[in-house]
Amino acid sequence: MTSAPSAFRILLGVHRRQIWRAVLAIRDQSRLLTGLIGFFMIGYAALSFALFRTGLRFIGSFPGLGSVLTERLMFLLFAFLFFMLFFSNLVISYTNFFRHRETQFLMTMPIPFQTIFTFKCLESTLLASWAFLYLIAPLLAAYGLAHKVDWDFYFITVVLLTLFIFLPAFGAAWCAIHLARFLDRRRFQLLIVASSAALIIGAIFWLKPEPLSDDMLETRVLAVLDRLLEKTQFAQFPWLPSYWLSSGVLQWAEGARSTAAFFLLILLSNVLFFGFWTFTGTGQLFYAATSEVQSRGSALARWDGLRRWRERRAKFDFGARGIESLLVLFPWMSGDVRALVAKDIRMFWRDTAQWGQTLVLFGLLGVYVINLRHFSQQLTNPFWVHLVSYLNLGACSLNLATLTTRFVFPQFSLEGKRVWIIGLAPIGLPRVVQIKYRLATFASLGITITLMAVSCSMLKMSPDKTAFFLAAVSVMTLTLNAMALGLGTLYPNFKEDNPSKIVSGFGGTFCLILSFLYIVASVVLLATGSPWLRGMADHPWWTATAWAAQIALSICLGWIPYRLGMRKVAHFEL
Amino acid sequence: MIELIGLVKRFGDLTAVDGIDLTVHKGEFFGVLGPNAAGKTTTIRIIAGLIKPTAGCARVAGYDVQKDPLEARKRLAYVPDFPFLYDKLTPWEFMRFTGQLFQMSNADMENRAKELIERFHLAPYLTKPIEGLSHGTRQRVAIASALLHDPEVFVIDEPMVGLDPQHTRVVKDILKERSRNGMTVFLSTHQLSVAEEMADRIGIIHQGRLIAVGTRDQLRDRDGSGGALEETFLSLTSEAADPSGNRSPETRE
Repeated sequence: MTSAPSAFRILLGVHRRQIWRAVLAIRDQSRLLTGLIGFFMIGYAALSFALFRTGLRFIGSFPGLGSVLTERLMFLLFAFLFFMLFFSNLVISYTNFFRHRETQFLMTMPIPFQTIFTFKCLESTLLASWAFLYLIAPLLAAYGLAHKVDWDFYFITVVLLTLFIFLPAFGAAWCAIHLARFLDRRRFQLLIVASSAALIIGAIFWLKPEPLSDDMLETRVLAVLDRLLEKTQFAQFPWLPSYWLSSGVLQWAEGARSTAAFFLLILLSNVLFFGFWTFTGTGQLFYAATSEVQSRGSALARWDGLRRWRERRAKFDFGARGIESLLVLFPWMSGDVRALVAKDIRMFWRDTAQWGQTLVLFGLLGVYVINLRHFSQQLTNPFWVHLVSYLNLGACSLNLATLTTRFVFPQFSLEGKRVWIIGLAPIGLPRVVQIKYRLATFASLGITITLMAVSCSMLKMSPDKTAFFLAAVSVMTLTLNAMALGLGTLYPNFKEDNPSKIVSGFGGTFCLILSFLYIVASVVLLATGSPWLRGMADHPWWTATAWAAQIALSICLGWIPYRLGMRKVAHFEL
Repeated sequence: MIELIGLVKRFGDLTAVDGIDLTVHKGEFFGVLGPNAAGKTTTIRIIAGLIKPTAGCARVAGYDVQKDPLEARKRLAYVPDFPFLYDKLTPWEFMRFTGQLFQMSNADMENRAKELIERFHLAPYLTKPIEGLSHGTRQRVAIASALLHDPEVFVIDEPMVGLDPQHTRVVKDILKERSRNGMTVFLSTHQLSVAEEMADRIGIIHQGRLIAVGTRDQLRDRDGSGGALEETFLSLTSEAADPSGNRSPETRE
C-alpha cells in the first residue's frame, strides 16, 4: 500500500527536478531576456531599498512622531500584505486544484486525495507568496538598518514571515474548495475581479484625503495626525494575523524579545492548528469539489431563476448578437472587418486575465490621477505642476507600453495554428494586421486620452497645455501600438497559445525595452523643449527641434516596424 | 474486471450517462463506440474515479471506485486521449516516477520497462526531455508508463491518436497480449476498425445509454444488416436517435 509520506516525497522529487531543469533552461533562453530580468530584479531591490531607507529616515526625523508613524506604516504594510496574499493564494489555489492537468493525472494514481491536496496547497502557497516576499524584503532591510538592529532581527523576521504566509494560504485553500462547489471558473473569476474592485473602491473612500488648511498643519499637527491614524486603525486589529507579525517584528527590533517571542508563538500555534485542519481533513472535500468542477453543474445552476435565464439564453439566435449588433452601428465597416473586430473583442472579453490586468493597471493610474486634485493646493509652484504633468505623461505611456507588449505584441502570434483561417480568407493578412492595429489603437486612445484629460483638469492646466499633452499622448499611443504589432509580426511564435509565453521570447523583450527607451526619450525631449519652461519662450527653435525630434523618433520606432511587419505578412507562407 | 451498475451522470440539466449497466470480465477486451458527445469519455472518467456518478456505481477489480478509491486505482491504469506528462522530465524519469507511485521495486521497474521500451521503440528518446518529443512519441511514453505496473484493468481513450501505423500495430499487439494474460481492457475509440479487430465485445453508447452490447457477430445479427461494423453502427445509432433531435451542444462525451 502506498503510504502518504512516500507519495509526497516522490512528488516533491519530481517537482524539484522539474524546477532545476527549468532553471538550467535559462541558459538556452534569450540572453537579452535573462539580462533584462536580472537587471530589473537587482535594480528593483537596490532602488526600493534606497527609497525605503530615505523614506524611513525622513519619517524618523519628525520629533516625537517618527516612531509612531513608522510603526503604523509597518502595521499597514503587513495588513495589506495579508489581504493581497489571501487573494493571490485564492486565485492560484483554485487554478492549481481544479484547472491543472497534473492534478487530474495524479487523481488517477494510487495517491490519497489528501496527499494530492496537501502537495498542491503547499505548491500554491509558494507560487503565490514568493513575489510578495521579494517585494517587501528591501523595506525590511531598510527598516533594520534605520533601527540599527542586530543580525538576529533578520533571522527572526524570516521565521515570522515564513509562518505568516501559511495563514492566508490555508484560508484561501479552504475558500477555493468551497467556492469551487458553487461557482464555475468564469463566475469565480468575476467574483475575484468584483471583490478586488470593491475593496479598492472601499479603500479609496475610506482613505480619502481630507482637505487641510495651512493653519491646521502648522498649529494642530497632533490633531491632524490623530485623524490620519484613525483611518488606519484597522491594521491594528488584534485578531488579524498581520498584527501578530507586525508586533513580532517591531518588538524584536525594539529589543522586547519576550513579547516578540509571544507573537511568534501565537503565529506558530495558529499555523499548526489551521495546518493540521487543512492537511488532515480536506482530502474528501477536495475530491468532491474537483468532481463538481469537472461536472460543470454548480449549485447555482440548480436555482430555478438561473435555470430559466440559461434556458432563455440557450435558444439559439442566428442573427447578430452582442458586440456584432453594436458594430452594425458603424455602416462604413465592411462585413469582414466587422467579423474580425467582433472576434478580437470577444476573445479579449472572454479572457478574464486580459481585461482584469488592463483594469488593474489603468484603474490604479486612474485612482492616482483623480487624487491629484487633493494635492492641487500644494502644487502651486509652476515648476512642480510642470514636472508632475510630464511625469503623468510618462506614467500613462509606461502603463500603455506594458499593455501593448503584453496584449498587442502577441496578437499576430495568437492566430497561431489558426492563421490559415484568416490567411486564406479574401480579406488577406496585411488587412488583418491593419485592422488589429486600428482596433488596438482606438481602444488605447480611449483610455490614454481620458486619463490625460482628467490629469490636466486636476492640475488646472490651460487649454493650450491640455491640447499639447493630449496630442503628445496620442502620438505616443499610435507609436507604441504600431511598434508592438510590427515587432509581434516580425517575431511571431505560432507554437504557443499562451500570450505570456509568446511575450517572454526575444521579440517581446525587445519590444518592452524599445517601448521604455522610446517613452523615456520622448518625455525627456518634450520636457526639455517645453515652451512653458521659464526662459524657453526666447528659444522657440529649441522647442521646435525637440518636438521635431520626438516626432521623428515616433516615426522611426512606430512606422518602420509596422511597415516591415506589413511587408512580411504580405509575403507570408501559410 | 469492471462493473458498472445503474450508472448515471448529470451535468446540470443534461444527462450524459443514463443508467448504464455493464460487466467487463477479467481478461476481456471491451471496445466502446459511440458518436461524438455520446457519453463515452464521461463513463471512462467515472471508471477512472475523476468524477462522481450522480447515481449508481463503478467497480474496478471488485473495488467501488468511490468507496475504495485507492484500492481501485492501484489496479487500474488510465490513459486519456491527451495524456499529461511532466515536460521537463525524460521518458525514463517519467516511467520511474510512475513505477514509484505504484511502489514497484527498482528491479521490477527495470525489468518491465526494458520490454516496454523495446516494444515501443523508446530507447533513442529515453534521455531527452519530454517537451521536445512529438505527439506520437509522448503517447507511446504515456501508454508504456501506464502498462509498467502491470495493471489488472486498463482503460484507454482514443489510443491511436497521433500514432503512426507501425506503433498503432505495437499498441494493438501489446494490449491484445496483455488481455490474453488476464488484463481487462476498456477501450474507447471512434475507429470502428480498431474495435472490430481488437475487441472481444463491443458496446455502443448513444445519448448516454448503452444501446447495444455483444460480439461483432451478435451486433450484426441484431442489426440485421449483415455488413461491415460501420453499417451496424450507423443503423443502431440512428435507430436509437432521439426523435426530438440532437442533444445539446454542451453535451460532454
